[in-house]
Amino acid sequence: MRTAAQGEARSRAIRLWITSGPGLFWIVLFLLIPSAVLLGIGFFSADDYGNPVLPLSTTPFQQVAGYSLLGWDDGNIIIFLRSVQQAGIATVVTALLSYPLVFFIMTRPASVRPLLLLFIILPSWTNQVVRTYAWLELLGPNAPVTWVAHWLGIVPPDLGIAPGSFAVTTGLAYNYLPYMIVPLYASAEKLDWTLVEAGRDLYASGLRLFWHTVFPQTVPGLLSGVIFVAIPAFGDYVVPQLLGGDRALMIGSLIANQFTETPDWPYGAALTIIMLVFTGAGLVAFRVLTRKIGGEGEATI
Amino acid sequence: MSTVVPPRVRGMLAGISWPVYVLLYTPLALVAYYSFAPAPNMAGHSLHAYNVLFHDGVVFVALQRSLILAIGSATVSTALGTLLGYGLCRFRVANARGFMANMPSLIIYTPIIMPSLVFGISELIFFNFVHRTTGMLGAGLGTMVIAHITFQVPYVALTVFARLAGLDPNLFEASYDLYADGIKSFLYLVVPVVQPAIIGGFMLGITLSIDDFTISFFTSGPGSVTLPIYIYSAIARKGISPEINALGTLMITTIVVLAIVHFFITRHRDDASRQEA
Amino acid sequence: MRSIRYVAAALFAMGVAAPRIAQADTPTLNLFIWSSYITESIIDGFELQCGCKVVETDYDSNAEMAAKLKAGGDSQYDVVVPSSYYVPELTDEGLIQPIDHSQITNFGNLFPKFQNPDYDPGDKYSIPYQWGTTGIVYDPKKIPNPGTGWDVLYDPKVNPNFPFVLPKGEGRDQIASACAYLGYGFNCSQESQWLAAAKLIVETKKRPNFAGFVDETPARDQMKSGLIAVSTAYNGDIATCYADGSCTNLKYYLPSQGTEIWVDTMAIPAHAPNPQLALEFINFILSAHTGADLSNFNEYASPNQASQQYLTGILATQLIVPSADDMKRLQFLAPLRGAQYKLFNQIWTSVLQ
Repeated sequence: MRTAAQGEARSRAIRLWITSGPGLFWIVLFLLIPSAVLLGIGFFSADDYGNPVLPLSTTPFQQVAGYSLLGWDDGNIIIFLRSVQQAGIATVVTALLSYPLVFFIMTRPASVRPLLLLFIILPSWTNQVVRTYAWLELLGPNAPVTWVAHWLGIVPPDLGIAPGSFAVTTGLAYNYLPYMIVPLYASAEKLDWTLVEAGRDLYASGLRLFWHTVFPQTVPGLLSGVIFVAIPAFGDYVVPQLLGGDRALMIGSLIANQFTETPDWPYGAALTIIMLVFTGAGLVAFRVLTRKIGGEGEATI
Repeated sequence: MSTVVPPRVRGMLAGISWPVYVLLYTPLALVAYYSFAPAPNMAGHSLHAYNVLFHDGVVFVALQRSLILAIGSATVSTALGTLLGYGLCRFRVANARGFMANMPSLIIYTPIIMPSLVFGISELIFFNFVHRTTGMLGAGLGTMVIAHITFQVPYVALTVFARLAGLDPNLFEASYDLYADGIKSFLYLVVPVVQPAIIGGFMLGITLSIDDFTISFFTSGPGSVTLPIYIYSAIARKGISPEINALGTLMITTIVVLAIVHFFITRHRDDASRQEA
Repeated sequence: MRSIRYVAAALFAMGVAAPRIAQADTPTLNLFIWSSYITESIIDGFELQCGCKVVETDYDSNAEMAAKLKAGGDSQYDVVVPSSYYVPELTDEGLIQPIDHSQITNFGNLFPKFQNPDYDPGDKYSIPYQWGTTGIVYDPKKIPNPGTGWDVLYDPKVNPNFPFVLPKGEGRDQIASACAYLGYGFNCSQESQWLAAAKLIVETKKRPNFAGFVDETPARDQMKSGLIAVSTAYNGDIATCYADGSCTNLKYYLPSQGTEIWVDTMAIPAHAPNPQLALEFINFILSAHTGADLSNFNEYASPNQASQQYLTGILATQLIVPSADDMKRLQFLAPLRGAQYKLFNQIWTSVLQ
C-alpha cells in the first residue's frame, strides 16, 4: 500500500522529469554522447599524423603528465596553473566590477534599467577579434594611455602596455563582464530591501550593513556568475593570444593545437578528459562549499 | 528604494559605473573611427568602407543567417532552460546525495566546461554519422541551431535557478492550492517571478550565439556562413579592414538606436496610460 | 487585428528577403577556400560555363580546414585550397584524391617548375593556384639597418628596443628560419638542428620587446598601425598595401640565408560529392585569362605561364616575381612525413609552452 508521502514523492519525481527532462535529454543526446565518442579516442594510440589507431594505450595520458618524445618536462603543469590563475583573475575582476554596476542600475528608475543592462551586454555582440584588436591599439606603443605609462616609467619607451598581463586582464574583464552581470542582476533584482531597513534599525551601517543584509541575498547570482566566468576563462585562449602576445600557452590553446596545428587527437582527447575531470571536481567542491555557507537551501544547481 | 540607499553611496556607485560605461564603449569608438578610414590612395576620412559594405551581398546574407541562428536557438534554449532550471529548483529533493542526484548537475555543466573545439568536432563527427546512416541532419543551418541550443541551455537554466533559489517554497505550494494545476501555477506565478532571469538568459543565449566561431565553423555546411565565420576568415586574409570596422559600428549603432527609441516609446506609452488612469 | 497585419507583413518581408532555395536539379560546386581569394566575376564566369551553381565557404587557416576534413568535412566540399606544405599530409591521410590529369587540358599552361614541385611530384594531388614568398617587412625609420638575413629577428643587437613578432601556426617557417640563421640551411631536417632552432626561438621569446606570435597577415596590419617594427610577411600582402597606399613607408626583403616560396593549391577531397565539376573548375582556373584575372585581383604571382602577358601593375615588379638571384634563396618547405612529423610537432609544442 502506498502512503500519501510516497505518492507525493512519486508525483514530484514525475513533474521533475517533465520539466527538466527535455533539457537534460537534449544535452545528453547532442553533447554527451558525441563527445563521449570523441573523448574515447583518448585511450588510443596516435599515428604519425595524429589520428587515433589501435592498439589502446595510456600514452596520451602520459603525455598529459608531461612525457613526450623529448622526455619529461613540467610544461603542462605550468600551463595548467597559468590557466587557473587566468580564471581566478577574470572572476575576481568581473565580480568586483559587477557589484557596483548592478547596484548602480538598481538606483535608477525601473524603466531605464533594462536599457542600462543592455548597454553593458552590447559590446559583446561585436566580433571578439575586432574588439580585442581595438584594445591592442588602445594599449599599444603609440596610445595616449601608454604615454602616461612611459612617463611614469612602468613601461619601457617604444613598447606598449599591450601585449602584457595588464592588457590581458583588461581584455578578460571586458569580455566576461556580461556573463557575471546578468545572473547577478537577475538575482539582485528581487532583493528584499526590508532586511536592509531592519539592519539599519539595528544601527548597522556602511560596509557591515551591506555584508550582512544585501550580500547574502545576491549569493545565488554571484555563484552562477562565478561559474559563467571562471570556467570559460579557464579555457580561454583568444584574449591571451591577442593581448598577451601568445607568449604563454593556455590549456585551451594546447588542446586546440592538438586537433589542428600539431595534430595528435588522442592527446587532445586525453587533455580534454583531464580538464573535464578537474573542472567537474572543482564544481563539486564548489557546490559542497556553497551548501555549507548557504545553509539548507541550494544556492546553485 | 531611493530611501534605502544613502546619497553618498549612490554617488560612489555612479562614480564607479559611469567610467566603466565609458571604458566599455571606448574600443567601439575606436572601431567606429577606423571605419571612416580614407579610400585607397586618397586622403581624409570617407564613407568608402560603408560603400563597399553595402555592395557586398555576402555580408548581409551572413548577418541574416547569424540573426536567424541566434534568435532561433535562443528561443528554444530559453524554453528548455527555463523548464530545466525550474524543475531542478522546485522538484528535486534538496541535498540529496549520491550519483543519481548529482547527475543533472554534471549534465548541465558539461556544455559550459567543454572546450569549443572539442564540442565542435564532436558535433561534426556525430552529425556526419547520423547523416550517413539516416540521411537526416545534413550539415547546415539546422545542425548549427542544434549545437547552439546545446551550449545555451545551461546558461539559461543556471540563471533561472539562481533567481528561484531562495524563494520561499511555500509560495509554490500556495499557488498550487490557488490554481490546482501545475501548468497554470507555472504560468501565473513562476514566469512573472523569473521574468528577469528568462530575459537575461535569452540575452545570454543571443550573446553566446552571435559571437561563436569555432562551433559554428565545424557544424556549418557548405554555404551556411555566419557573420563570425565571415569575419574571422576575412581577418585572416586581409586583416581588420575598414569594412569590418564599418560592419561592427553599424551593428552597434543600430541596436543602440533601436533600444533608445523603444525606451522612449514605451515610456511615453506608460506616461499616457498613467494619465488616463 | 492590427497585430495580424504586422505579423503578415513581417512574414512577407522575411520571405522576400530569405535566400533563394537552390533548384534541386542545378549541380552545385562546393568551394572551400580562403576568404577573398577569388573574385565574383571568376565565379560568375564559371557558373556560366558549367551551367552550375558555386557555393563558397571560407576558412581562416590550413589547420582548421584539415581538422574539418578529418572530422567528416571531406564529403561536403568539392574543392579545397590547401597550402603546399599541407599537401603531403593530406595525401598520406587519404583526405584528398588523385587528380585525373586527362581532364585538366590546361595543365600545360603552368610553368614547368610548378608542374613537378617537390611537395607533390607531378602534381598528382594538387594543382597550383597562386604562389608567393615569405620575407621580412620592417619600418626603416625605426630600424634603419636590418641587414640582409634573419638577424633582424633573432639577433638582439640588431633590434634591441622595438616590438617585433614571429609567426604562429605550425612552426614550420619559424624552425626553418631559425635553422637558416644558425647556418643549418632553411630546410634543416635533423633532430639536433631542430632542437637548436627551438632553443633559439625560446630565447627570442624571452626578450622584452618580443610582442608575441602573430601570423603574417595580422602582423602586416600591426606594422601599418605602428604597433610593431618588424615581422615576417607575404609578398602579396605587401603588394596589396603598397597598391592602396597604406604601407608605403615599409620595406620588404627576402633573407639571404634562405626563405620560403610557397604555393596555394587546389585539391579535391576524397569523398567530394561532385568531383567531375571540381575538375572542370580547376581546369577553368588554369586558363590563361582566368589565371591573370585571379592574380590581378589578389596581387599574388600566378603559376600560369600563359597568363603572364595579361598581368598588370605591381605584378611585374621584383616584389612579386623574384629575380633569378632571389630564386636561389627560395625553397619549398620540405615535406614532413611520418615519425618526423610527429617529432616536429612535439618540439614545436615545447617551444610554445
